Amino acid sequence: MKRNFTLFFLFAKNALATTSQGRTGIVLLLLGKIIRFIFLFFLLFFIFQRTQFLKGYSFSQAALFYLVFNLIDTLSQVLFREVYRFRYLVTTGGLDMVLLKPYHPFLRILLGGVDLLDLILIVPYLILTVIAAHSIATTPVQIFIFILLFLNAIWIATSFHIIVLALGILTTEVDHTILIYRDMTSLGRFPMDIYKEPIKSFFTFIIPVAVMMSYPVQALVGKLSLPFTGLAFVLSSSICFGALKLWSVALEKYQSWGG
Amino acid sequence: MQSSIQLFSITIKEFFSYRLNFVLWRLRMVLGTLVTVFLWMAVFDGKSRFGYYSREQMLSYILFSSLITTLVSSTRTSELAAQIQDGSIMNLLLKPISVFSYYAALDVGDKCMNIFFGIIEFVGIVLLFHVPLVAPQAILLCLFFLACGFIGFWTPDVWAPRFLFTMIVFFVSGTYFPLDLLPEPIYRVLLLTPFPYLFFLPARILVGGAQAPYLIQQMICALFWTGGTYFAARLIWKKGITEFSFWGK
Repeated sequence: MKRNFTLFFLFAKNALATTSQGRTGIVLLLLGKIIRFIFLFFLLFFIFQRTQFLKGYSFSQAALFYLVFNLIDTLSQVLFREVYRFRYLVTTGGLDMVLLKPYHPFLRILLGGVDLLDLILIVPYLILTVIAAHSIATTPVQIFIFILLFLNAIWIATSFHIIVLALGILTTEVDHTILIYRDMTSLGRFPMDIYKEPIKSFFTFIIPVAVMMSYPVQALVGKLSLPFTGLAFVLSSSICFGALKLWSVALEKYQSWGG
Repeated sequence: MQSSIQLFSITIKEFFSYRLNFVLWRLRMVLGTLVTVFLWMAVFDGKSRFGYYSREQMLSYILFSSLITTLVSSTRTSELAAQIQDGSIMNLLLKPISVFSYYAALDVGDKCMNIFFGIIEFVGIVLLFHVPLVAPQAILLCLFFLACGFIGFWTPDVWAPRFLFTMIVFFVSGTYFPLDLLPEPIYRVLLLTPFPYLFFLPARILVGGAQAPYLIQQMICALFWTGGTYFAARLIWKKGITEFSFWGK
């Protein structure tokens, strides 16, 4: 375990050194992310200037959905940025070198590229989330369930990224797969109640975007029943099991593409 | 002309060679549109108007705007930056066709494919989710602004500035809501920038027709920005190419 942490920090240090090489790029990308955050927040604010509730949620509740979405999305990008570069490893044959190393490949291909840009953004998102949550009446039990469901969301995000890696080996289409994952999770930017059936059920039970992005906030504002809280953990366990199974299948099928 | 037709044809064939790639790309676009459509459907739940817009007008605006975005923003110029960085731009510079003509031909192919599938998706969303639409109006005028938007968007760039540029463009060009819902002074200032002429004005005209008092000002601004951005792109390209030295892999 200690060895894994040492390797993780070593990879993170290398990733930070690589990212900090292109300073202009860092500033512009960071600016782009901040602008996107501000503009979407403005969209919410703009809507609530002319309407009181959005599917039964007040402005502060809808803002909390948006902030928690940003927190989960950004945290998973900080941890799993290396997945975005996985296709290159597969198509050049570089994955062979990773698989031959005496450590678990996930340390390199899943967690090996901590993202400096998103790491910077986590802090303001966290502060804003705490401020928004503070304005909502909640209980210690609800906060505890929120934290559990938040961790559950990161667990689901991990499983999704493992699925993307496996699909990367099986199809070499990882660029689009990861971006589709991002687009699907972005449905959780607003409360999932805004979506009509069958979209809502599909993104709750088949691809659990709602469980990831909406359930933690629903629990915090007291709008999530106990059976659905239990269901969240069942779904995340099932996805994790499926993801690891798919990864095993992908490794069995892998036959060094590069040259 | 013959070479441009060949390039157009190759672009179309390329899409059919990488079918999964294209299908996944379109799926991403549909998901993006669905978020905005459902958000506005929820806003209009138990509400008949939002500002000057009725439910039908707003949803029509969002869907027309998404279709126009597909047409305007689909471009192949994004690969130019990578070509400069890895040195493969040399192959392009040695070809007996200008870079602008080369990418114009690729872009026409790209836009044809994207708009074809964009229309299918548009119809699919309308039928599947029973989205009420208003009949498109002033189509010729819309086409005028649309033609301006094509050239305005056509700027070779690199990833980080492009990301920043895209973020700004998507918000201040009215992808998420009609810009005329903003306070009047902000709206008037935005009309002086090139952004509303990309998606907002064509979609707004289709939904509500032309706004007569501002029409002449808008047409002059659109022409100015069309010419301005086109000549700026040519000038920057000319300057860049004189300073270019091969330093790729």
